[in-house]
Amino acid sequence: MTARVVMKLRVEAARLATQQVLHLTLVHASRPELPAWEPGAHVDLRLPDGRIRQYSLCGDPGDRRTYQIAIKREDAGRGASRWAHDALVEGAVAHVSAPRNNFPIRQAARHVFVLGGIGVTPGLPMARRLAAEGADVAVHFCARSASEAPLLAELSAACGDRLSTWFSAEGRRFDPRAVGPYSEGACLYVCGPRRLLDAVRDAAAALGWPETSVHAEAFQATLDENFKPEPFDAKLASTGATLHVPADRSLLEVLRDHGVTMPSSCELGVCGSCVCGYKDGVVIHRDAVISVADRQDRIAPCVSRARVSVTLDL
Amino acid sequence: MNDSHHSAPPDAGSAVPGPAMVEAFAHAAGSIARQVPGGASGFKGVLLHIHVAPEASFEMEELAEAECVAGRGIVGDRYYEGTGTYSPKPDTREVTLIEQEALDALARNDPPLQGGAIALAPGDHRRNLTVRGVPLNHLVGRRFRVGDVILRGGRLNFPCKYLEELLGLPVYLPLYNRSGLNCGIERGGVIRPGDAIELLDDDGA
Repeated sequence: MTARVVMKLRVEAARLATQQVLHLTLVHASRPELPAWEPGAHVDLRLPDGRIRQYSLCGDPGDRRTYQIAIKREDAGRGASRWAHDALVEGAVAHVSAPRNNFPIRQAARHVFVLGGIGVTPGLPMARRLAAEGADVAVHFCARSASEAPLLAELSAACGDRLSTWFSAEGRRFDPRAVGPYSEGACLYVCGPRRLLDAVRDAAAALGWPETSVHAEAFQATLDENFKPEPFDAKLASTGATLHVPADRSLLEVLRDHGVTMPSSCELGVCGSCVCGYKDGVVIHRDAVISVADRQDRIAPCVSRARVSVTLDL
Repeated sequence: MNDSHHSAPPDAGSAVPGPAMVEAFAHAAGSIARQVPGGASGFKGVLLHIHVAPEASFEMEELAEAECVAGRGIVGDRYYEGTGTYSPKPDTREVTLIEQEALDALARNDPPLQGGAIALAPGDHRRNLTVRGVPLNHLVGRRFRVGDVILRGGRLNFPCKYLEELLGLPVYLPLYNRSGLNCGIERGGVIRPGDAIELLDDDGA
């Protein structure tokens, strides 16, 4: 995991931005100023059980006193958002890392945003900054309805007539072709659920957008974006076969290549479908599903790796 | 020093056993340093700041006073709790010290081997005690007092890339050889900023 200082931040204000989205204003428990950030940045929120969730900063980078994040309650999720909604009341203390930016504003002649639901969070400060600079910017915001569109008023205030809203319950389902044809030097930013990202990528490709002009931010369980995978060997306990896992491939992929079929679903280390046992070896656990107690002998081959070698109970 | 290999932490009122610590004078560095004369004498330094962090990566928090527990660390610190970045690796790190003079040198870009001056706010260096007038590099294998607490120099501290990454500042080179001192606690007690720091001989308390 990449090192970033963890701060104790106090919840100064907590309000519901929609019925499902909790909007938090956080201040440092003892310092007047928080680390600076640029639009697109996120922070890690540490849960009491040690899990980490990433939330984009959706406030104003010029305000060094507060951070603002918005957390959608996912009742079908794994408990992180439910915990946040229940525990992060006014006055509560949250353990929050210093910001990092994996989704920065690019140098571009034109900026097109597609934001889906809670995916508005990084897009709001980005669009606000670009609009204030007088840049050529267009923003598409998709949600079920206006009342379920978090930070809609803020986004509307920032973007004015540069904003197009797409509310499916009101008969305006987002058409990814709305991003329009590619123009020289344009940049497309997409943030939202995986299916929106996929749909926009496909439509953009068909409309002539080069892959390098499309930038996506998915909210997923990537714990350590700077992790550098190393090659290692995996031995199968049943057959004694040794499989080499190159740095750029997952253990799950290599197992599949060799006819070891594993159930899998998310392939992000979240769902637990592909988890199997292991015996010896030093495993680098990168999943978000196996409990600490079980990490002695369970591995998620979709994301986790080993130092040098590992023997799998397969 | 017949107690130099004594490393079991005394009961600090906690049911949880402390993390594995290497007693300062049993450390590979400290044990050798004890066999030769040294230890600048005659200095009288002062404790400026006390900082602890509750867990690895957490911001350091300044304390107005701190309880030092022999064989274990400063109550509330990650190395006392065993939750530090390096806690799984047995070493001497009950208490770490750094010289204010070293921080002053960084702040004036002296020597000018990096891009420019580096201002480290108190506690950003992640050492527990910031001291002035104490020649820390001379205190490996020596005993000295901070107020009523007696510390043993176990080894020189050295900067780590982890700190660089955490701070986002290129502190590795400029801190090299003046990164402070890792100590064990021979006699525990309460310390406060302003406490005097002096060398002790091997018998004196």
